[in-house]
Amino acid sequence: MKLEIGNFVVKDVAFGAKTGFADGIFTVNKEEALAEVMKDEHITEAELHIVKPGDEVRLVPVKDALEIRCRVSGAPGNHPGVTSDLCSAATGRVHSLTGASLLVVGKHWGSFQDGLIDMGGPFQRATLYGFLKNIVLVADTDEEFERHEQQKKNHALRWAGMRLAEFLGKTLASLTPDSIDVYELDAVNRRDAAVSGLPSVVYVMQPQTQMEAMGYNTLVYGWDGNHMLPTYMHPNEILGGAVVSGSFMPCSSKMSTYEFQTNPTIKRLMKEHGKTLNFLGVIMSNLNVIMEQKVRSAIMVAQIANNLGADGAIVAEEGYGNPDVDYIQVIVELEKAGVKTVGISNECTGRDGKSQPLVALDPRADALVSTGNVSELVHLAPMKTVLGELESLRRDGLSGGWDGCVNPDGSCLLEDNAVFCADHPSGYSVKRCFEF
Amino acid sequence: MKKKAIHYLNQFFGQVGGEDMADYEPAMHDGALGCSNIFNAVSKNVEITNTLICGDNFMASHADEAVERCLKLLEGKEFDIFIAGPAFNAGRYGNACGLVCKAVSEKFNVPVISSMNVENPGVELFKKDLYIFKGGARATTMKADMTAMATFADKIASGERLLPAAMEGYFGRGIRHQVYLEDLGMEPVPACDRAVDMLLAKLAGKEFETELPIPTPDLIPIAPAIKDITKIKIALVTSGGIVPVGNPDRIESCSATRWGKYDISKMAALESGVFKTIHAGYDPEQGDKNPNVVVPLDAMRALQNEGLLGEVDDYFYSTVGTGTTQGEAARMGREIAEVLHQRGVEGVILTAT
Repeated sequence: MKLEIGNFVVKDVAFGAKTGFADGIFTVNKEEALAEVMKDEHITEAELHIVKPGDEVRLVPVKDALEIRCRVSGAPGNHPGVTSDLCSAATGRVHSLTGASLLVVGKHWGSFQDGLIDMGGPFQRATLYGFLKNIVLVADTDEEFERHEQQKKNHALRWAGMRLAEFLGKTLASLTPDSIDVYELDAVNRRDAAVSGLPSVVYVMQPQTQMEAMGYNTLVYGWDGNHMLPTYMHPNEILGGAVVSGSFMPCSSKMSTYEFQTNPTIKRLMKEHGKTLNFLGVIMSNLNVIMEQKVRSAIMVAQIANNLGADGAIVAEEGYGNPDVDYIQVIVELEKAGVKTVGISNECTGRDGKSQPLVALDPRADALVSTGNVSELVHLAPMKTVLGELESLRRDGLSGGWDGCVNPDGSCLLEDNAVFCADHPSGYSVKRCFEF
Repeated sequence: MKKKAIHYLNQFFGQVGGEDMADYEPAMHDGALGCSNIFNAVSKNVEITNTLICGDNFMASHADEAVERCLKLLEGKEFDIFIAGPAFNAGRYGNACGLVCKAVSEKFNVPVISSMNVENPGVELFKKDLYIFKGGARATTMKADMTAMATFADKIASGERLLPAAMEGYFGRGIRHQVYLEDLGMEPVPACDRAVDMLLAKLAGKEFETELPIPTPDLIPIAPAIKDITKIKIALVTSGGIVPVGNPDRIESCSATRWGKYDISKMAALESGVFKTIHAGYDPEQGDKNPNVVVPLDAMRALQNEGLLGEVDDYFYSTVGTGTTQGEAARMGREIAEVLHQRGVEGVILTAT
């Protein structure tokens, strides 16, 4: 299966008369873009902004990030089964803006899974999005049923993001990309001896799927991840848009839709394929609440890895706390099955750093990559401009905020938990925990 | 102006005398002394102004009193940092440095720094409570060990960023914080690359370093099953804190270091008012009302009467589990097991709470 991703490297983003990409500049016609957003009657008001690295802007509550892209061929839309008819996402061609993202921000109301981004100042580096040129959709909805709920499906806003990213991305369809990345893997039993002789590796993803009610969890081709057993997928399906980020995870642990579309662990494994390893593909697992479900998924993961002939695995967990049990269980089952495994997750060591880093521990998990401490305290100075509503951090149950964490002058104290995707278990994290 | 430090030393390094002076009682001395001078020569921001000296034997045999007297001697003294040792591989000295540093940190809330060899039992006992630098086994490394402590004290005094334990050279204190790799002067390698590189090393059988070490659990193999329970002696052991009223062995209600053994040979059950619980980790009401719910002597006697059990040991053994460190629990377990062996006990019912 072959997927081509055509890159359009963004030097700048600006509002202008005509939406489109030319000479490294992506121009957005604001009115047209907002008209697209307002097509959903549940969106009651919407505004667009542009924020760039270094800008003195704070964004909160950020709901999702998406790559601005379109499908040129192979699938009818960016997210088959979600925003378009079902179809494999593994083949064909995608055109995408590189170095930019679309951020979706609640105009007022936040939820558990929403987070904060600083585009400038000392906390710009706290999240990848501080280094991207972002088009920001700030909007409100009529979803009264969840207005004051801590857990929100954020359906209208998340879908508005997907529609807008595609609407903007479509202007790239007929243009010639600056470069094209080709992702191709032969069927596992039809690989050259030189490739199949290399150590065989799978990438196990554990997206957040622990909400029993529907509408909150990670979607795989539109299917709620809570209702699936681990399954084998082609890496191109992930890069091609088959997975849409959910709305039920402590925010620093989140893998945004952007991080599925651009997953850096998959990209590195594809780069190593045929050189240092034989990349067998992705085992899409999930995270569960009942022990029996956790064990079942772990056994299924190990079984698939074994039957594919995996020598090694990388496991990535989207979440912390309870799902650490699923994380360690999968690692242990893989190691028991003879698959040498490395894990990627954040830790929860407490504000004083003294708590047990993961809920479950097992000495067989002997190769772990740490991406941060969710409970690390972060002091933020006031920021010139806030897009969204700072109060949401204090008021709406964001994972790392609490009543009293926002000061009248706009400074605030929060846990790393509340910083949007900050621990990047997708692989972008440039921090880790150390023992002191 | 330089910050002030006080330096704890044993009788030998405090130049009082050798083993014959090991009972030397705590005393405060003005000025630097012996190895303190190495510290003062290195440190730009900190000066040792006093030494606190205590004999190793005195500390070992009168720990509570010795620590109390050390704290008393420090009262009213101006100091910003407390230094102890280096204790090298000297067990009693390491223990003394740990005890005093821990108490000083708790009472005066100042940074406490020591140095010990990895083999010194003081490391395991106190590494969570203080900065213990990785020192040599013998006094030949005195200069290097003092220099390491002085350099670190300097950093603390100047407010410089303190690096992770492994980079500074002390034993990790079990405290984990997130750090941006660039802040440590390291290349900001993203997690995906760290993971793939670690996996390639693991697959190749090469060395790799996990970023989150999992402590190896100290698992004790389970003893083989008892073949005939009607023919052996069984003892009752508890971490539930049941003791004779009055707590004759002064077992601590929390973070226990003591255990007791109590005669039950003439009893059919544990009587309320004769026994009670001193455990601070659960509601004592039911245990005080009926101590047998924690130490089930009544049930044991009933089974004995029915001929389903052999002998019940004449004593039960008790300590408190709440807040008790694994190290202390293991020591007490070994001590109790020794007595059980001597008494011919072949089976134990261990009740927790």
